[in-house]
Amino acid sequence: MPVNVWVVIRREYLQRVRSKWFVISTLGAPLLILLFVVAPAYFLVRGGQAEQKLAIVDGSNVLYERIAPYLVGEGFEVEEERWYADVVTSLRKEATEGEIWGFIVLDELTLDTGEAIVYVTTRPSPIRQLTLQSAITRAVMEYQLERQGVDAEALLSGGELSLELLSEERTSTEEPQFWVAYLGAFFLYMVILFYADSVMRATLEEKTSRIVEVIISSMEPWHLMLGKILGVGAVGLTQLLIWIVSGFLIIAGGMPLLVSQSPELMQVESVFSTLPGLGMMTLFVCLFIFGFFMYSGLHAAVGAMCNTDQEAQQVRLPMVMLLVIPIAMVSVVIVQPMTAMSTWFSLFPLFSPFLIWARVASGGIPAWQIGLSFLLMLFTVLVIAWIAGRIYKAGILMAGKRPTLPELWRWVKEA
Amino acid sequence: MIDTRYAIQLDGVTKCFGDHAAVSELNFDVPRGAICGLIGPNGSGKTTCIRMIMGILHPDEGSVSLLGVTPDDVRRKRVGYLPEERGVYRKMTCTEFLTFLAEIRGISRTEGWRRSNDWLERLGLGAWANTRIEALSKGMQQKVQFIGTVVHEPELLILDEPFSGLDPLNQDVLEEIIKDFHSKGTTILLSTHLMDQAERLCERVCLISSARKVLDADLKELKAKERTGVVAVSFEGSDQWLQGPEIDYIRESNGELHLILKEGADHQSILKRGLEYGVKIFRFDLVEPRLHEIFVRHAGTESVGDAGLPKNATMELQ
Repeated sequence: MPVNVWVVIRREYLQRVRSKWFVISTLGAPLLILLFVVAPAYFLVRGGQAEQKLAIVDGSNVLYERIAPYLVGEGFEVEEERWYADVVTSLRKEATEGEIWGFIVLDELTLDTGEAIVYVTTRPSPIRQLTLQSAITRAVMEYQLERQGVDAEALLSGGELSLELLSEERTSTEEPQFWVAYLGAFFLYMVILFYADSVMRATLEEKTSRIVEVIISSMEPWHLMLGKILGVGAVGLTQLLIWIVSGFLIIAGGMPLLVSQSPELMQVESVFSTLPGLGMMTLFVCLFIFGFFMYSGLHAAVGAMCNTDQEAQQVRLPMVMLLVIPIAMVSVVIVQPMTAMSTWFSLFPLFSPFLIWARVASGGIPAWQIGLSFLLMLFTVLVIAWIAGRIYKAGILMAGKRPTLPELWRWVKEA
Repeated sequence: MIDTRYAIQLDGVTKCFGDHAAVSELNFDVPRGAICGLIGPNGSGKTTCIRMIMGILHPDEGSVSLLGVTPDDVRRKRVGYLPEERGVYRKMTCTEFLTFLAEIRGISRTEGWRRSNDWLERLGLGAWANTRIEALSKGMQQKVQFIGTVVHEPELLILDEPFSGLDPLNQDVLEEIIKDFHSKGTTILLSTHLMDQAERLCERVCLISSARKVLDADLKELKAKERTGVVAVSFEGSDQWLQGPEIDYIRESNGELHLILKEGADHQSILKRGLEYGVKIFRFDLVEPRLHEIFVRHAGTESVGDAGLPKNATMELQ
């Protein structure tokens, strides 16, 4: 590669990596995600405890032992109260004095119909109400089923469906994860478009500030474009790698520590344990690279043929609209990764970065199709580079009216 | 034919944009070591001509040679080009920006860094070396742009309207630097429409009008040749004798009245008419014309107004 290209790459890279924006977004994003995942779980679990001390008066004599563990698991503090004549009056007093949040009265009728009375000092949230209600009905069903000699626990936990896969065509040994597939595809869409857009803006800025004439009097326009794309791409890659590595460090090092401090976070940890492994991460990075090359080439050409930001956004719009298709398709592809439609859409190179990811993450794609999609993307990258390089060369010095489609075609032919 | 005595050679060069010829059949040479002015009205094709010399545009017909070869090979390292429309990377510091420009012309990073700082010191910007360019005043930015043109010590300088937008003080600074480069043997081609500057600086001028070359000559020779064309007069009495077919127009220059004669007109007949009218003539003197007068005479009025590119077509940067 010519020395000039390296000089441009280094300039693009250092200017961007040193910017405040890069530091903030690189450090901020993982913190933000951590905040969104951990904080709500933390406060949900923690927050419930203090206020929800609950007394249970069990007139049925069989329900308390079934309800209590379930409610404790949901964050209630439970105590049993014996049945006596004035129990309601005295508990009511305790509740109004703030010693307990409320109390539940269960009796023989509860055993037949699941009906119970809950006395509370403050109105519980709908979810809390549902929790109480299901605790009671579940206990009642368990009791009634056990009386008939049925394994109530297994039945009530939804039974079990064991999956025996007859086909060998599985590329990923990892468990299909809806959220990994969906969020991953969406995340790819965001980073690819974001960095491709950066290339467009940088091109436009060079053009409008007129610096470009000095630069291309010393180097081929095509080399400038290449350096720009590679430089911005390297910034994107750096950011992705920082995120991935710091993500692993947080999960491998930080979470066990956090969980040992506050065991309530066990649930959060179980979410992290479903994160994609190294193979998937590599695929992710490769899809980013190919997707970025395709879209940044297109964006560089758009930047070179326009004169203002608004104009460029207009020209870019059809391209962004086209991308609505794969994003809308993602959820379909995840559910039915092997259908003909999913296959064809995911093999269309401009959609591949998002849909191939979705199919791999949901476990429904033969290995040869992954290979084929990368070959098709490589071919597309080369075609786009060839066309974009020509448009870039012709457009970068143009001022005035934006070229029409026939004019664009002439540029591509003549450059 | 490429001749190594010349830094720049244009041979029958034509460049069209759509139906409009921006440069038409232009032949034009700049000898090595010369300081040459490319002058002409706005839109006459100067910038297009310079862009072809720099290899940014390719001529439709004819050939361009730069330092003895076709532009692509050597221009990178050996030419300093200051376009008319010049920009900077606003977010970079002065030294970073200048080092970058030196590097893309093949200078090493450390050497580029050193030279950038030397130049910044020389032009009084030493204190701003590590300041982002966006924080500098417009005049300072223009100095930085100029340093960017010369930081790689080119043997040929091509300056497109280098004085535009500069205040008189900085114009003088720039003029001195240009003269300095010239005295060290650097070949300089500058395009300008400021005739005073061209007259002070240039040894040769090439006048382009409506895409075509009108004049191309050594300035001294040109002035001597055009000497027949301007008469300085002072007189007392009616000015009726000055209304004759020989005179193109009359111009006041430094308190003197200059009669600009039409091509081939005989100044003696004017003098004769003056005597006939009984005017007291104190001075009737053939003088060296100002470049301005030569320009106006040759560029003509028809070219100034309509030489611009059509407004509705896709335009090259002017």
